[in-house]
Amino acid sequence: MRRRLVIRASLVAFSVTALFALQATFRQFPGMEDDPVPVPPDAYEKTEWAFTRLMYPSGRHASVFGDIGSWPTDYPKADRQFVQGVRRLTRIHARSSEQVVDLDGDEVFNWPWLYAVEVGHWSLTDAECAKMREYLLRGGFFMCDDFHGSGEWNVFLESIQRVFPDRPIVEIDNQDPIFHVLYDLGERIQVPGIQYWYTGRIWEKDGKTPHWRAIYDDAGRVMVAICFNQDNGDAWEWADHPRYPERYTSQAYRMGINYIIYAMTH
Amino acid sequence: MFEFLFKYPGAVFEKGQFVLLAPWPVWMLALGVIAAGGLLLWHVRRNRGLLTGVRSLVIWMLETAMVALLLFLLWHPAISIATLRPQQNVVAVMVDDSRSMAIREGAETRSAQAVGVLDRKLLAALGQKFQVRLYRFGKEAERIQKTSQLNRSLPASRLGDSLQQVLAESATLPLGAVVLLSDGADNSGGIDLDTMSQIRRLHIPVHTIGFGREKPEKDIEITDAVLPAHALADSRLSALVTFRQYGYAGQKALVSVRGAGKLLASREVQLKGDGAPQSEPLLFNAGPAGPQTLEISIDPLPGEENRDNNSLRRLVDIETRKPRILYMEGEPRWEFKFIRRAAEDDSSLQLASMLRTTQNKIYRQGFSDPHELEEGFPVKAEELFAFDGLIIGSVEANYFTQTQQDLIREFANRRGGGILFLGGRFALAEGGYLHSPLAELLPVRLPESKGTFHRDFSNQELTAQGRASLICRLVEDPERNAARWASMPQLANYNEVGEPKPGAVELMDVVPAGHRRMPLLVTENYGRGRTAVFATSGSWRWRMWQDHTDVTHATFWQQLMRYLVSDSPGRVAGSTPRAVLADETKVTLRAAVRDKAFKPVPNAVVEAHIVGPDGAATSVELTPVPTEEGAYTAEWNAEKPGSYVAEIVAGRDKEELGRDVVVFRREDGVAESFHTSQNRELLQKLAAETGGRYYSAANAGRLADEISYSEAGITTRETKDVWDMPVVFLLALLLRGSEWMLRRRWGVV
Repeated sequence: MRRRLVIRASLVAFSVTALFALQATFRQFPGMEDDPVPVPPDAYEKTEWAFTRLMYPSGRHASVFGDIGSWPTDYPKADRQFVQGVRRLTRIHARSSEQVVDLDGDEVFNWPWLYAVEVGHWSLTDAECAKMREYLLRGGFFMCDDFHGSGEWNVFLESIQRVFPDRPIVEIDNQDPIFHVLYDLGERIQVPGIQYWYTGRIWEKDGKTPHWRAIYDDAGRVMVAICFNQDNGDAWEWADHPRYPERYTSQAYRMGINYIIYAMTH
Repeated sequence: MFEFLFKYPGAVFEKGQFVLLAPWPVWMLALGVIAAGGLLLWHVRRNRGLLTGVRSLVIWMLETAMVALLLFLLWHPAISIATLRPQQNVVAVMVDDSRSMAIREGAETRSAQAVGVLDRKLLAALGQKFQVRLYRFGKEAERIQKTSQLNRSLPASRLGDSLQQVLAESATLPLGAVVLLSDGADNSGGIDLDTMSQIRRLHIPVHTIGFGREKPEKDIEITDAVLPAHALADSRLSALVTFRQYGYAGQKALVSVRGAGKLLASREVQLKGDGAPQSEPLLFNAGPAGPQTLEISIDPLPGEENRDNNSLRRLVDIETRKPRILYMEGEPRWEFKFIRRAAEDDSSLQLASMLRTTQNKIYRQGFSDPHELEEGFPVKAEELFAFDGLIIGSVEANYFTQTQQDLIREFANRRGGGILFLGGRFALAEGGYLHSPLAELLPVRLPESKGTFHRDFSNQELTAQGRASLICRLVEDPERNAARWASMPQLANYNEVGEPKPGAVELMDVVPAGHRRMPLLVTENYGRGRTAVFATSGSWRWRMWQDHTDVTHATFWQQLMRYLVSDSPGRVAGSTPRAVLADETKVTLRAAVRDKAFKPVPNAVVEAHIVGPDGAATSVELTPVPTEEGAYTAEWNAEKPGSYVAEIVAGRDKEELGRDVVVFRREDGVAESFHTSQNRELLQKLAAETGGRYYSAANAGRLADEISYSEAGITTRETKDVWDMPVVFLLALLLRGSEWMLRRRWGVV
């Protein structure tokens, strides 16, 4: 109940912020991970880019995550740890802390790069689907990650097809600039979540084959980058853990950075 | 009347010199007047009788004036004047025989009026005193024997050129004066200062006789329409239409631009006062590539006398070229993405970008050659000068080497390209530009301090110049355009910059909350090119905060990029001083030829392939201009009216250096329809500058008498007495009569 109140209060805060057309600053939300990280000292710095995490409702698919839903999976450690790589490896002026936005207000339009995790458990409202569509058509970029198997794919489709009922989801060609904008990622491997520690499997459910799919705009630019049957979020979150293999983290960082650079160039 | 009172025509007094013929000096005259005044004062005071103080003073003044007049006459006043010796001088009579003289003024044409003036009296009167040489003139003068040879058929009139020709031809003759009969309609727009001073130096008076009404009763005439000679396809063009009206002050009229029979733009305007020149801009889309004939017109109003001057045509070359812009960006940012998108939506532009994604990696986009600039920012002139425009983003000044900084400066100065400096955390003052040679290129001064880049959402506001600028025009109507800008989303950030430099144009300001407004978008011309600063990297919010169908952001950026490159010359730059040949045939073609480093090429072979209105093609070779390296020119006759397209191709040693297109149009019938009122101002000025006089057709009869008084030709100096002028006797009578009348009234006779 308390978490729900926090979420509602934050939504109200976003609406007020949007009304006065001021860019929202960093705000810490309750996470659901067992590996908390401190708020960085420069968390409130105004920067060009911030890791923008979508706070979405899970609706009837929220059962395994509780009231808060699935959006804060890996949050905030994955975000902050990945940002360290972005800051070290690129010239992007990146904020050390993440930014959480929803699709109920207009704040999302201040953040043209958007990330969502566990979208196999999301359930967007029609209004949120319309907002997402408008966001993407204006030039926003959406990366989603960490959902596995045909069941979660179908849940994902149920919302994304209301965002774009008429646009196909296609496999991204290896030659697409999104795989080459900074790092050449023509050859890729499946990036597992930390369940790999316990099971030794790199896949989850029936998602044995990783897919890098996309929805393109009319000019042939990726609007929605779909990382299916893979878990880049865990690879970022556990990058500092000796048990998590470096090769997966390395690809996840490169993939994430490519997606950001692509979003800022196309 | 004047001549009755003063005995001689006014010209005698204008041109003659006043002299006193008596052998006594002038001081004696003055002394005599003073002495007489003193004596009279003594006399009047002694014998004043009933006269009070003021009355005696009046009587004294009248008597003194009378004595002074008599003394003055004793000194024998006269006018010394040079007069042409009869039968020893030549007078050139020049008659305007251009088509505008065929315009009817009541019952007869202007030409018929001129012939009437000449045949009724003037030629005969002149012939009694001088040898008369009769000329007809249009663009040049031609000797004729009689007025019946005038046929009002010459397509253009050039007063200055024709006069110079007649004066030159008569250099060996004792030319005493020139009589010029014209309506003053000059196709070159008047007589320039050079020509005027050359005519004046010859000291030959030019007497002018003007024909035609000075203003119509009810008419609107388009006097000019200024459009660029070249434009990029689908760009926004502005036609500055100048017109004037008589008889419709305060009424509304519709100004339009049509291309290929299609209405491109129209605007209702309120007409100003009679005769006042009025200029109105009209914006429209240039349309697809190719020569475009545009008709600029004003819808006729009820009762207009002349509807032929309500429209004119202009030719604009809508270029097929796709100018290339190089965009150097120092860090990934949203502005970069959305600028790229705006450029990709513009089929007339090519944007090649170099983005520093990491410390040592550059991501290149928009290059057709995968190896072009793969080593980084250009270090050779031919590499950089292959582009027409340059955008420098958030890049520190010292990222560029000294050589590259010199190249950037020469890119605007010598190559004639456009450079845009964007804001950002490594840009402008933050990027160390203040103390770099690149500061000279910026159209604004930079602050000394750091911390001038602010990531604070801020409003932007058009300046007065921005409201008129094509760069900032989102909608055609200026008021709606200003309102559109007022409702735009805020910028994401801004850089503080100082005041615009002298000559720079401030188009837009940023208005941060709680801070003073400061320049945001400023442009200026630099060398052969132009530079601009847009002190933000936050215009991407105009895209993300407006509906996805809104094209405001793309329109602004496309217009800004087109501003950068639309006037950037190619290696071969063709031009013509006059794109509209109004009743003329001769066209001058020019070409400036440069190599890849944009240095003049002196030994090129330059040819113009001209296609006329009937599709007939011809070739003309352009020859080097001796005084200007890399410049070539040719003159050619456009035989038929209509539009011409000349493609100028330059080559050297079998290598093509480049090509350019020049368009021009021959318009016939301009004289009959445009500027049909008498240009009295020009005729009066010509007469006044040369020592002649202006006459209307009605008083031209006096000319035969007055023309004799001239310093030119073979002259003799005459002395003309003025003591016996009737006006002198009238004055004496007036003085004595006044005294008598006053004395009678005051009873002291």
